[in-house]
Amino acid sequence: MYEDIINQLWSFIQDNLKFIFMITIFPGLAFIFIFVIFAVWFKRKYLARLMLRMGPVHAGKVLGWLQLIADAIKLIAKEFIIPRTTLKFLFFLLPILLPVIPACLVLLIPYAEDYIVFEAAGNGLLLFLAIATIYPVLSMLTGWVANNKFTIIGALRTIYMDVAAEIPMVIAVLGVVILTGSFDFVKIVEAQSKIWFIGPQILGFIVFIIGCLGMTERVPMDFPVAEPELILGVKTEYTGPLYLLMMEADFVNWLAWLLLLVTLYLGGYNGPDIFMNKTISGIFWVLVKLLVVMILLMTIEVTYARLRVDQAVRLGWRILIPLSLLNLVISILLRYYMPWMWGVG
Amino acid sequence: MSVIRVEEIEELEGGLMRVRIGPQHPISGQGTIIVTTDGEIVYEIDVDIGYSHRGIEKILENRTYLQGIVPMERMVMLDTSHVDMAYVRAIEELLGIEAPPRAQYIRTIILEMNRIISHTYALGLLAESTGWFPAFFLWTTGDREPFLELMEMLTGARWSYSFIIPGGVRADLPSGFKEKALKAIEYFRERLDVYMDAWMENALFEVRTRGVGVIPSSKAIEWGAAGPNLRASGVRYDTRKNEPYAAYGELDFKIAVETAGDAYARGAVRIQEMYISLDIIQQALENMPSGPIKVNVPQRVPPGEVYSRVESARGELGVYLVSDGTDKPYRVKISAPSFRNFFLLEMLPTIQEIKFADVPVLYMSFDPWFLDADR
Repeated sequence: MYEDIINQLWSFIQDNLKFIFMITIFPGLAFIFIFVIFAVWFKRKYLARLMLRMGPVHAGKVLGWLQLIADAIKLIAKEFIIPRTTLKFLFFLLPILLPVIPACLVLLIPYAEDYIVFEAAGNGLLLFLAIATIYPVLSMLTGWVANNKFTIIGALRTIYMDVAAEIPMVIAVLGVVILTGSFDFVKIVEAQSKIWFIGPQILGFIVFIIGCLGMTERVPMDFPVAEPELILGVKTEYTGPLYLLMMEADFVNWLAWLLLLVTLYLGGYNGPDIFMNKTISGIFWVLVKLLVVMILLMTIEVTYARLRVDQAVRLGWRILIPLSLLNLVISILLRYYMPWMWGVG
Repeated sequence: MSVIRVEEIEELEGGLMRVRIGPQHPISGQGTIIVTTDGEIVYEIDVDIGYSHRGIEKILENRTYLQGIVPMERMVMLDTSHVDMAYVRAIEELLGIEAPPRAQYIRTIILEMNRIISHTYALGLLAESTGWFPAFFLWTTGDREPFLELMEMLTGARWSYSFIIPGGVRADLPSGFKEKALKAIEYFRERLDVYMDAWMENALFEVRTRGVGVIPSSKAIEWGAAGPNLRASGVRYDTRKNEPYAAYGELDFKIAVETAGDAYARGAVRIQEMYISLDIIQQALENMPSGPIKVNVPQRVPPGEVYSRVESARGELGVYLVSDGTDKPYRVKISAPSFRNFFLLEMLPTIQEIKFADVPVLYMSFDPWFLDADR
């Protein structure tokens, strides 16, 4: 009897080897964890250079590469403090749920023509935007259950951010959908084989970058975690392992939005076939473009000041929404007059 | 400046809450600012002064005049030589002596270097409060390093110099000081140009600071604004000009004045003052007279009372000194600029709508120091 089960299981694994690899290694669990470790380390070293300092150097003599692991051990070993006024169940649950949402988003992105975990029946982009909406709500809830003045103000500001950044960003993304006539990520990437959408969709790209900074809570749109007044926004009450999970959620969320940026505007996996293998080249080009976008956004992070809440909402509604609507009109004209460029003619 | 009880906090009407910024807070320093807000709009700011009160005025009554310099300097660590100068000036006025010219010039150099050290820190914190903690704060902290090294070369300490004493200064300029100082001035002038380009003309920084916390000149005088905060509101007042001490009477320099009166103007005044400080140091180095660096002073100070003031980095700092003829002061009263600048922060919500996110920007643009205000 056991042999049957083992045989069935083995044949299932053989049949679904690629799927299991995708879930566990790339772009699944292992990739996400390694990216978080790399991104934190890279951000520390790169920002340190811009600030005329060295960044971590002690843990792991060469370039301080062990620093994040040391930090993680420190955070896990820390005292576990749960404030008396919180809702204990949600206080535990929400930080565990938070990294899951953006991790689902990472699985929707195509890394090569035939390398995509969930195709979502050709509605990947729609599903992405739908799932991404959950993140700010959960983030708001974490601040709410922590029941501290700083976290509650942070939670309110998270909702302001959602209003200011996400709406113009979704309208901007619709420009891409109009050009390609599809919500399918693969079709969107294939349509960029002639020209990346950063060219025809430049207005949409600008709106998207600003919205992206907002959705990932980075300077200049990081008022929900504004350190000078709110300490750490919704994360203020969290300590130890729960804080570690929230920081991880932050970086996975960042990864998801950057991957969407690469896919929609920078040609996704398009690029010269340098490895004589379309899948490996595709993954390579996605990762290279991801690194470039990371550096761009990190540089923005240290060179600009933070916007105030009212200023950010005004920016979102008075400037970004008209810009994204203009982008929509331009997209319609481009689609009408030269459909052959986008492979829909 | 009242202490609120815990049970009071939750009982505010209209969905308001009192947020305590400090004393354990990234921006607060060694005190508490209690902000009454509905989340974004600030209705009241209450600065809870006294958390770091150390009784410096009382300590001074138990020290001889020379010993008193050291506890006096603990009042504000960033700006020690100005505090020192105010105390020494009071003692010298009571004694009726004057330091020799060379000592006056060395004092001027120290005072202006200390002003630069203090202003770089203030500007770094202003940048931090607008969201640039990392980049700009570390730039300014790194760029004041040549001046800290010069101070170490001259006085033996990077902080808390105790160098200005009644009758002169403790030591003469070491060899090679002038060349090193001129080099540092040249370097820092270039850096200031970089600050002007990269920072003061940064669009988002202007958005955050222009028109924020505007104090008209009439209100600035009424509320007793001090130092750069007063001059940023268009009032041309500087103790260095109005009542010259050290070598300021013999040197040629301008007063930095801005008219806007907002947080941006206060930052701009500080940058201009640093340019002027560099000029003053250069002039003092080039016109340095020769001669002795101190005169002998008696231990006992004749009875009498005196009020002396100097222009410290944070504004006019006054020392009221009463002597009863012994070797220790009978009473010392210090009028600290930070105390008056905190008052501006408290009064601002009465004339203008302040957002919660502006509170750190305003706090840092006034550059008050809790240790200074608490004494």
